[in-house]
Amino acid sequence: MCFEPDTKKKTPVPCPVPLTELMEELPVVQGRSQPIRVLSRLTIVMSDSSHYRASCPEYRPFDLLAVQPQTDKLFLSACMTYDVDIICISVSERLPFFYKRAPVYGALERGVVFEVSYAASIRDATRRRYTLSNAMFHSDVCKGKSVIVSSAAVKALELRGPHDVMNLTQLFGLSDRDGRDAVTTNCRAALLHGESRKTAGGIIRTFRRAEEQKEEQSPVAKRSRHDAAETKPV
Amino acid sequence: MVRVKSRYLLCEVNATDRNLLLLLDDRAVTVAVKDVVQRIHGDYGAALCSFGFSVKYLNAVTGIIFLRFPKRCYKLLWSALPFITSIEARGKKITCFLNCIYVGGTIRTCQKFLIRYNAHQLRRMLPKCKNEEERRDVQQAILDCCLTRNHTDESEDALESEEDE
Repeated sequence: MCFEPDTKKKTPVPCPVPLTELMEELPVVQGRSQPIRVLSRLTIVMSDSSHYRASCPEYRPFDLLAVQPQTDKLFLSACMTYDVDIICISVSERLPFFYKRAPVYGALERGVVFEVSYAASIRDATRRRYTLSNAMFHSDVCKGKSVIVSSAAVKALELRGPHDVMNLTQLFGLSDRDGRDAVTTNCRAALLHGESRKTAGGIIRTFRRAEEQKEEQSPVAKRSRHDAAETKPV
Repeated sequence: MVRVKSRYLLCEVNATDRNLLLLLDDRAVTVAVKDVVQRIHGDYGAALCSFGFSVKYLNAVTGIIFLRFPKRCYKLLWSALPFITSIEARGKKITCFLNCIYVGGTIRTCQKFLIRYNAHQLRRMLPKCKNEEERRDVQQAILDCCLTRNHTDESEDALESEEDE
């Protein structure tokens, strides 16, 4: 996932870098037969309601749209009305406000997910405390539903493997099942939500049968049990 | 009698400089893990870690480690592992992270997985070979591990040495 710089006030919204400029050929992750998909996302750090403009044409090229509200009211409107995919929970400071269950459940019903990133917690101890406390508070409020965990890494060494992250989420106060969903199912839900937001209605996916079968035959080495269970009935 | 159960974590050390991996030894890894558990979970974690935790196997060339944890608390101890950013070995600091690829109840299943995993790595290596010699070596290694797997499950030592290329 590409991390674009946050928009400051008055600065224009940057355009995502086209994939062909980044890399000639996308790498294939082990255990899969297809190359990875790279998407672009925009994170808007909001301290004022003018920072987010609804249906702005500059948001169009991004696959995912995320907001990080800084105040109580913005959080409420982000959960209830804004047309975004992800709401970020701050990891580098104390949670600037407290919220109740109502707005969070409003967001859950609309299919918006909440995001916690873990790379800051690997970097130093104070931010680790903030990350953990904010994540625990959040998972108390939402009972562990529809949380996604992302890396937000700036160096390659801050990335962690999927199993490690799944297990790390138990420090965030998620149960085993919710932790697994936070890395697998909820992320996919966020992507689909982003796609349907872009096309403004719904989407119909078509895929070739042959590719599907090839994927099934791929070695089970890196596929989690959950993943395997999901693809088998197809 | 009920026997003591444990979990084995198969971890891969990913470092920026692969030559530094050769410095790794059991002690360094043990110290690094105990240190990080102490840092994350405090005295309670350190106490859990002091009993029944050990580094069972370490391959400095491929950077593969088997860690053994008591089954009762392996999740707690495992959750501290992502916070490892460097391992200090022989006076040098290796910046790296541990990537856990498999969790098994016995060392045998871990070994089986590792063999399959390494064979798969070889197959991925094949299209990336630069010159003819490398290519032949990798092909030979794949052939060898296919043969050993079909005949006996035992002769894995021969296999291990092949995979280091």
